[in-house]
Amino acid sequence: MSPSSKPPPMRPGSIDVSLAATFVGLIAFGVVMVYSASAVYANRMYGDGMHFLVRQTIFASVALLVLAVSSRIDLSLLRRLTYPILLIAVVLMVAVALGLGRSAGGATRWIRIGSLNVQPAELAKLAMVLWLVHSLTKKAHRVRTFSIGFLPHVLVMALLMLLCLAQPDFGSAVMIALLTFVVLFAAGAKAGYLLGGVLVALPIGYAAIASSPYRMRRIQAFLEPFKHRQGAGYQITESLMSFGSGGWAGVGLGDGRQKLLFLPEAHTDFVSAIVGEELGFLGVTALCLAFAWLVFRGLRAAWRSPDEYASYLAAGMTLFIGLQAFTNLAVAMGLLPTKGLALPFVSYGGSSLLVNAAAAGLILNVSRFAVEPAEVAVKSVKRKRVKPRMRTAEGGAR
Amino acid sequence: MKGRSNRRHRWFRARIAILGVGLLCVAALVLVRAFQLQVVGGDRLREMAEGQHLRLLRVSPRRGAIYDRHGAELAVSVDVDSVYANPRRLRAMDQDPARTARRLAAVLDVDAKQLASRLATDRYFVWIARRVTPHEATRIAELDIPGIGLTTEARRYYPNRHLAAHLLGFADIDGRGIEGIELAFENELRGSDRRVEAIRDRRGQVVFADETIDDLSKEGQNVVLTIDKAIQHIAERELALGVRTFEARGGSVVVMDPSTGEILALANYPPFNPNEPSKHPTAHRRNRAVVDRFEPGSTVKPFTMAAALTAGAVRPDQSINCENGVTRIGGRRLHDAHPYEWLTPTQILAYSSNIGTAKIALELGKRDLYRSFRRFGFGDSTRLGVPGEAAGILRHYRSWYEIDVAAVSFGQGMSVTNVQLATAMSAIANGGRLMRPTLVRRITDARGATLEETKPQVRRQVVPRRVAKLVGEMLTAVTEPGGTAMEAAVDGYLVAGKTGTAQKADYIHGGYAKDKWLASFIGFAPADKPSVAISVVIDEPIIAHYGGTVAGPVFRRIAEVTLRHMGVAPDRGRAVLAEMKEKPEAEPAAKAAPTGAIEDGQSSVPDVRRLPLRRAVLTLHAESLVPEVSGSGLVVRQDPLPGSVVSHGATVRLQLDRRSLDQKATVSPKGSPSLAAAVPRRPHEP
Repeated sequence: MSPSSKPPPMRPGSIDVSLAATFVGLIAFGVVMVYSASAVYANRMYGDGMHFLVRQTIFASVALLVLAVSSRIDLSLLRRLTYPILLIAVVLMVAVALGLGRSAGGATRWIRIGSLNVQPAELAKLAMVLWLVHSLTKKAHRVRTFSIGFLPHVLVMALLMLLCLAQPDFGSAVMIALLTFVVLFAAGAKAGYLLGGVLVALPIGYAAIASSPYRMRRIQAFLEPFKHRQGAGYQITESLMSFGSGGWAGVGLGDGRQKLLFLPEAHTDFVSAIVGEELGFLGVTALCLAFAWLVFRGLRAAWRSPDEYASYLAAGMTLFIGLQAFTNLAVAMGLLPTKGLALPFVSYGGSSLLVNAAAAGLILNVSRFAVEPAEVAVKSVKRKRVKPRMRTAEGGAR
Repeated sequence: MKGRSNRRHRWFRARIAILGVGLLCVAALVLVRAFQLQVVGGDRLREMAEGQHLRLLRVSPRRGAIYDRHGAELAVSVDVDSVYANPRRLRAMDQDPARTARRLAAVLDVDAKQLASRLATDRYFVWIARRVTPHEATRIAELDIPGIGLTTEARRYYPNRHLAAHLLGFADIDGRGIEGIELAFENELRGSDRRVEAIRDRRGQVVFADETIDDLSKEGQNVVLTIDKAIQHIAERELALGVRTFEARGGSVVVMDPSTGEILALANYPPFNPNEPSKHPTAHRRNRAVVDRFEPGSTVKPFTMAAALTAGAVRPDQSINCENGVTRIGGRRLHDAHPYEWLTPTQILAYSSNIGTAKIALELGKRDLYRSFRRFGFGDSTRLGVPGEAAGILRHYRSWYEIDVAAVSFGQGMSVTNVQLATAMSAIANGGRLMRPTLVRRITDARGATLEETKPQVRRQVVPRRVAKLVGEMLTAVTEPGGTAMEAAVDGYLVAGKTGTAQKADYIHGGYAKDKWLASFIGFAPADKPSVAISVVIDEPIIAHYGGTVAGPVFRRIAEVTLRHMGVAPDRGRAVLAEMKEKPEAEPAAKAAPTGAIEDGQSSVPDVRRLPLRRAVLTLHAESLVPEVSGSGLVVRQDPLPGSVVSHGATVRLQLDRRSLDQKATVSPKGSPSLAAAVPRRPHEP
C-alpha cells in the first residue's frame, strides 16, 4: 500500500498547549510536594531536609528537557528505536534479576549506572507500550488473529512480567499486564482472546499472591486495613488517616503531620496521601481533574491523529500515564491492594519522572498532527480516500 | 486497503472512547472515594491520626532560683544530661540488648541485666539514667551506640552544698519542692505549668509545639531570702564547731536583725547536702530552729522580768530575798544552783536565780505573766512560712497552779522554738516592738523585676520602750565578768543576753533526765544600739552543759564576724575590758616540752592551764585527746600534766574554776563595770 508519490511533509501544527501546561504544572507540583513530604524524613536520614528536593529539582529539569525533545522527535526515528529500547529494558531487567542491582526494602529494583540509580521496571513499562504500538501498527488487520496479533505480545509481556516478579516488583508486573491488555484492546485485538487471557491470568495471579506470604498479608491488609494496622496494614491505614486529616481544604501546605515518619514512603508512592492531608479534598480533586484532563486531551490527540502509529502511540502513552496515576491514587485510598507504584510526575524518583516525561512528550508530539474531526467526518461521509498528506512514520520507514 | 484501514480506524476511535470513558469513570470513583475518606469519614480518621502524633505536653517552665539578700545563688536550676534508649532503633540497627547493656553499665551506675531486659522491649523510649555527670555524658556520647541518646533535663542544684540546706529544703528529680523554702514557695518557684499541644514524630520525639514559650510571666519566680550568705556560713561553721566540741547531738542558730525581724541566718546541725538528700537520714534534714520545740529554761527570764517591770511588780532597785538557794512554792521545793541571799533584778538575771525570778512572777500574777508571754509570741507560731513550723506550748494560765507560775517564769513547763526565742529577744532589743520574723525579702519574676516585697511588720508593742531598754541594760551583766556567759562577750562590743541550761524532760521515766541538757544563749549586740540578735541552742552537749560555756562562745564568734560584716563600729570604751578578758585566749596554748619521745599514735599533752574551757577543749582535740571537765571558768588543774606522752584518745581531766576568772577581771586596771564589783562570787545557773 505504498503511496504512489511521496507526499510533501505536512507542516506540523501547534502542540496542545493546555496539555503541555498540565504536564509542566504536575511536574512543578511534584517538586513542591516531594519537598513537603520528605523534609522531615530527609533530615533524619541525611541530616539535610532538602536532600530529596535538590534531587527532584534536578530530575524535573532533565524531565522538562526530555519532554521537549520527545515532543519534537521524528516519530519514524522513534519507531526505529523501538527494538533498541526494548532490548535495553530487557537487558537491564535481566541484570537486576541476576542480582546486579541495588536492594532497598527487601526488593532489588534499582541498578546503578554511573552515579545514578535507575529503576529498569519503569523503562520496561514504557518499552513494552512502545513495542506494542509499533507491532500492532505493523500487523494492522492481523491484530485480530491469535498467533500473530495476540500470542507474541502476550509472550513478551510474560517475559517482562517474570523479570519484574524476580525483583520482586509485583506492582510493575501487574501494570505491564494491564497496559498490554488495554493497548491490545485499543488496537482491536479480539475481545475473546483478551477475556481468555484474563481468565488464564487470574489463577496465575492468585498463585503468585498465595505463594508469597507478604503479598497475602497485603491482600488481607487491603481487605481489612484497620485490623492489620500494626502490621501489613500499617502503611495503608496511615495513608487513609492522612487523607482523612485533610478534610475539605487540608491542613495547609507543609503543615502535614503524617509525614513525621508515620507514613512510610510519603514522598514516593504515597505522596498523594500527603496531598490529601495538606491540600484536602479540594487538592485531591484538582489533582484528579489534572490527570483526567490529561487523559482526555491525550486520547483526543490519538483520536484526531490521521496516522495509525501516531494514534496508537498517543493512546498508549496516555493510558501509560493515566492508568498509573489512577491506580496509584486508588492504592493510596485503599481501593486497590498496596503495591509499589509511583504517581506520575508527582512522586519522587528520577526513573519514573523521566519515563513519564518522555511519554508526555510523545503525546504532545502526536497532538501537533491533529486533523480536525469535522474534516475527517466530512471525508468519511464523502467516502473520499484520505491521502495522508503528511510525513507519516510509516512512510519514513519505506 | 485504505477502506479497511479506515474502518479499523473508526473502530479504534470507538475503543479509544470506551477506554477514555472507562478511565474517567475510574477518576470519578477515586474522587468519590476521596470525598468519602476526607469529607464524610474525615473526622474519625483525623482523630486516629491525632491520637498517634498529638500529645499533650506539660511544659514546666524553668524553676525560679533562690537567692540570698545580696543576690548570691543558693538554689538554681541547671541543665544536665540524661541518657535514654530507643529499643526499636537498637533492634533496627542490630544492636544486641545484652551487649549494649553491658557497655552502658560499664560507664553508668546501672544494673546490666535489668537494663538488658528494658532494652529488649518494643518501645520507642526508655530512660537509662537520669541526670548523669558531665563525665558520664561524654563517655556515653563516645560510645556512640545507635539508639542510645542524651537529652537535657533541668536539675536543681545547690551550689553552696550544705549551706542553709535545712532552710532551702530540696526538690525532687522532677523539680517539685519537697522541703523548706522549695516547698513553701513551690507555686512561685515552679511558675505555671502549661499544657501545650505538641506534635511528635513516629519515634515519639516532639517535633514542634503549636506555641512557643516566650512568656516570662509564666516562668518560675525567684525567691530572694533575707539570709546573708556570709553570716549564714559563719553561723553554720561556728554551730558545727560548738556542737562537735561539746559532742552534742545537734543544735540550731537564728541570727536576726532586731529592727526588721529579718532572719539573717538560720543554721542547723547536723548538716546535709540538698544535692543528694536521700543520702542523709531524715533527722539530719530537720530544720530544728523552726520545727523543734523544747523547754527553754532560763532564757525566758528576761521576758518575765520585762513583764514584771511593765506591770510594776518589781522595781529595778528592789532587792529580792533568794532564800539561800532553797524555798518552797506551792508545796514544791525550788532550788537555785548556787545559794544567794538578796539580789537585785539585774543580779537575778546575771546569776540566773530561779527563786528570784519565781518570786517576781508570783508578784506579777499568773494572768499577767501568761498574757505577757503570749505577747512575746510564745505558744503561737511566728508564721515564718516554712513547712512544719511548731507553735510551742504555753498552757492557759487558768490551768496553772502556783508552782506552774514559778516554772513558766524560768522556762519550764512550756515549750518554744528557737525562732520564737530569737524573735522575742529581738523585741527586747527593738525597744519592745515585736517584729514579725521574715525569711523572704522579695519575689522577683524571671526578668528580675520585683513582684512582691516584704516590708518589716511590727506585730505589737510588747513592753514599753523604757522597760525594754532597762532589761537590755540588765542583760549586759550576763556577759560581763561574774555573769553566767562571759564566754559570750564580744571584743569591743557591749553584749546583752541570757543563758539557758535546761534539763531535758525524760519522756520515758517522767520528770527530767539527769544528764541530758539543752544549752542555749540568746543575746544581741551592741546592747545599747542593737544590730543583731542571735539565738544559739545546743542539744545534749556532753563535755559540758552550761549555756554560757557551750552556747556562749558560739554566740560570740558569730556576733563578732556578723557585726564586722555589718559594719558596726566597735565601742572603743569597752574594748580594753574585752581585751583583758580575752587575754588568756589570745595566748596560744603552750606547747609543753614532751617528757619522752613521741611515737605514732601518741601525743604530748599540751598545757591548757589558765585557758577557758572552750579553748582548752579545742587544744586537746587538736592533739586527739578527750577532755573530761569539772567545774566552770578557767582551767586551774589538768591531769596528766603538760608534756606527758599519752596515746591518742586518752582522757585529760580538767578542773575549772570561776575564781581565777574573777581575779583576772578584778585586776583589770580600768576596773570592771560597777555591776561586776557588786556581784558576789561566782553565780551558777540551773
